[in-house]
Amino acid sequence: MDWAGWALFGLVATAALTAAMITAQLAGLTRLDFPLVLGAFVAEDPDRARVFGFLLHLCIGQGFALGYAATFALLHRATWWIGAVLGIVHVGLALTVILPLLPGVHPRMASQRAGPASTAVLEPPGLFAVNYGIQTPVVTVVVHVVYGALLGLLLQPR
Amino acid sequence: MTDGRPISDYGLLGDTRTAALVGSDGAMDWLCVPRFDGDPLFGRLVGGRDAGTFRVGPARPATVVERRYRRHTATLETTWAVGGGRLRLTEAMVAEVSGRLLPTTLIVRRLSAEQAAVDAVVEFDPRLGVRHRRPRVHHRRQALVCEWGAVAVALDSTPAFRIEPGRPTSIRVQPGRPVTVVLAVAHHEPVIHVEPTAAWDVLMQDEARWRAWTAEIDERLPFREHVARSLLTLRLLTYSPSGAPVAAPTTSLPEDPGGERNWDYRYVWPRDASIGVSAFLSVGKAAEARGFLAWLLHASRLQRPRLPALLTLHGRRVPAERELPGWPGYLDSRPVRVGNDAAGQHQLDGYGWVVDAAWAFAQAGHRLPAETWRAVRGFADVVARCWQEPDAGIWEVRKPGQHVHSKLMGWLALDRALAIADTHPLSERQRRRWQESRDALAAEVRTRGFDEAAASYMRGYGSQDLDAALLVLPLLDMDRADSPRVRGTVDAIRDRLSAGGPLLYRYPPGQDGLPGTEGAFLPCSFWLVQALARTGRRGEAVELFQSMVDLASPLGLYAEELNPATGAHLGNYPQTLTHAALIQAALAIRDAPTPG
Repeated sequence: MDWAGWALFGLVATAALTAAMITAQLAGLTRLDFPLVLGAFVAEDPDRARVFGFLLHLCIGQGFALGYAATFALLHRATWWIGAVLGIVHVGLALTVILPLLPGVHPRMASQRAGPASTAVLEPPGLFAVNYGIQTPVVTVVVHVVYGALLGLLLQPR
Repeated sequence: MTDGRPISDYGLLGDTRTAALVGSDGAMDWLCVPRFDGDPLFGRLVGGRDAGTFRVGPARPATVVERRYRRHTATLETTWAVGGGRLRLTEAMVAEVSGRLLPTTLIVRRLSAEQAAVDAVVEFDPRLGVRHRRPRVHHRRQALVCEWGAVAVALDSTPAFRIEPGRPTSIRVQPGRPVTVVLAVAHHEPVIHVEPTAAWDVLMQDEARWRAWTAEIDERLPFREHVARSLLTLRLLTYSPSGAPVAAPTTSLPEDPGGERNWDYRYVWPRDASIGVSAFLSVGKAAEARGFLAWLLHASRLQRPRLPALLTLHGRRVPAERELPGWPGYLDSRPVRVGNDAAGQHQLDGYGWVVDAAWAFAQAGHRLPAETWRAVRGFADVVARCWQEPDAGIWEVRKPGQHVHSKLMGWLALDRALAIADTHPLSERQRRRWQESRDALAAEVRTRGFDEAAASYMRGYGSQDLDAALLVLPLLDMDRADSPRVRGTVDAIRDRLSAGGPLLYRYPPGQDGLPGTEGAFLPCSFWLVQALARTGRRGEAVELFQSMVDLASPLGLYAEELNPATGAHLGNYPQTLTHAALIQAALAIRDAPTPG
């Protein structure tokens, strides 16, 4: 497995994904804010949460990149399009399983069950994260395909 | 139909996610699921006989001997005299279900008899959505389960008896042996059955929470009981999952019975909500205020820096207005509408209310997170850039104009943003731009918005009409509260827009381009109370407040408008804006110096 490539290019791909998401967010295409959603696990202040969230996101991105690197090693092949296909699997999992399950574990995310005692502040993403804007699934798919394609281009299949 | 029953006959049950309206005969004629803006499950209020109801009450017509909320709770109690006995219905929705295996919406209704056994009836006829769809019905164990795909409801009872949807079930209630009926709603999840006795215990815990919440309100507050009921109502109408206060839980209750002024209010107006934020802050409920600001920040992101006039509970774009064919409407007031086209309007005043709420939050000693401040800066920039453009104004008129109230609120947005900037970072260039716009705005309003002959600010540039929204003038500090301009405006509005007694029209009736008439606008009367208190006329303010309190529904609730001739409540009900204005009026009375 390409350990050195994983260590460096995992970070590069995650940073690119995060930058693309933030750009889309600033362009008014989505309200999904990965650093905030993740960082709110550990901090209440949105500004501090974003800092922690960005670091957490880099770690998680490295975790996923490990899966990509392992898959390339198993296939003995790494191309941009295999990376892109893996990106689609990755984002499918994120939009249909990981994000909808978040309200169950996130200490500062609302669910329909929130009551007056709730301290939740973040809206739940919902299936395909459409609660964060109807274009969110499209944006999320695109940035994950970019992430996968970058890893496919940069990682070695050994 | 509602058999001509007045709007004020209805009581509100709520769980901070959705709300039900219950008449004095025990009929739940309005409930949307799973949220305020969801599909009606019981829609008879505006949907006619086929739209569903859930009545629990006496079997024959009976006299209501008492109807009240249990003190400082959201539990409604109705007592009827029936023959030699009395029948009491105690009911509420469970608000706090997080962290427990409970249905998201859980309604508990208990009938108890006193003095003698009483015949009662349970009529359960749920229909879902625009087409009043009938459910697939199952009897599981002792419960009745009705399903419509993603939505299912379960009805359990103790003692157990069989209920068929759409068919009244007669029961005999013995003294000392209450009958409890529990309705559980499931949406995209399995039905969760709750044993009725356990549900009652859960409800009692909820009551204790509401009492503790209300106990935190300042003991010395004038009209404290009314303020407490209004605060509870505001909280019940605040959607807990997002922190957004809904304007009202209903759609198309008419401003003009039999007419077409029927609007969907099951959305969030940032303007109205900001007034609520200030009200919550003033009584020390900072969590609710913080929740709203967090929601606003999140909700407005896709449109920023523009501030939409209204948003859905989750901050999405409000659906386009459409009419529901076949819905007869309340007192034949057609059309019944869902969605609201006001969402696309430019309303300059909204920026003022929202920035003022942020300022109030900062004033209370809370530092705005950097992102909130960024959003506020964006709003102020929009005002500095666009204040000269015509807008739809607070009354959402179809034809945009140069509304003086909008300009005043634009001034407020810039002034408060500058005040926040004293403790938050702002570039010198931006500060200068805001100051120049604010000063230009004040100069223009003073010259073009003021009529020397009438000694009052007017509704629009060059207009001869008054606008009751200008009663906020003493709160703004653009002109001193004791200045002749402010006092003249307050007096002119009080005189020329009077609808009799304490009531005011918002503007000369019929001046909004729509056919038909409308009633007196209740928030304006509370703004008048506030204006009087702020301009040193505390005694008059107290007197006026008392007169307004006397006009509330028997349960202390208010719609948006009132027919000055009959005292009938008009428009969607209960109304967040009216209750928020009531709280602010009481606070203004508290803060006004006592003469002598």
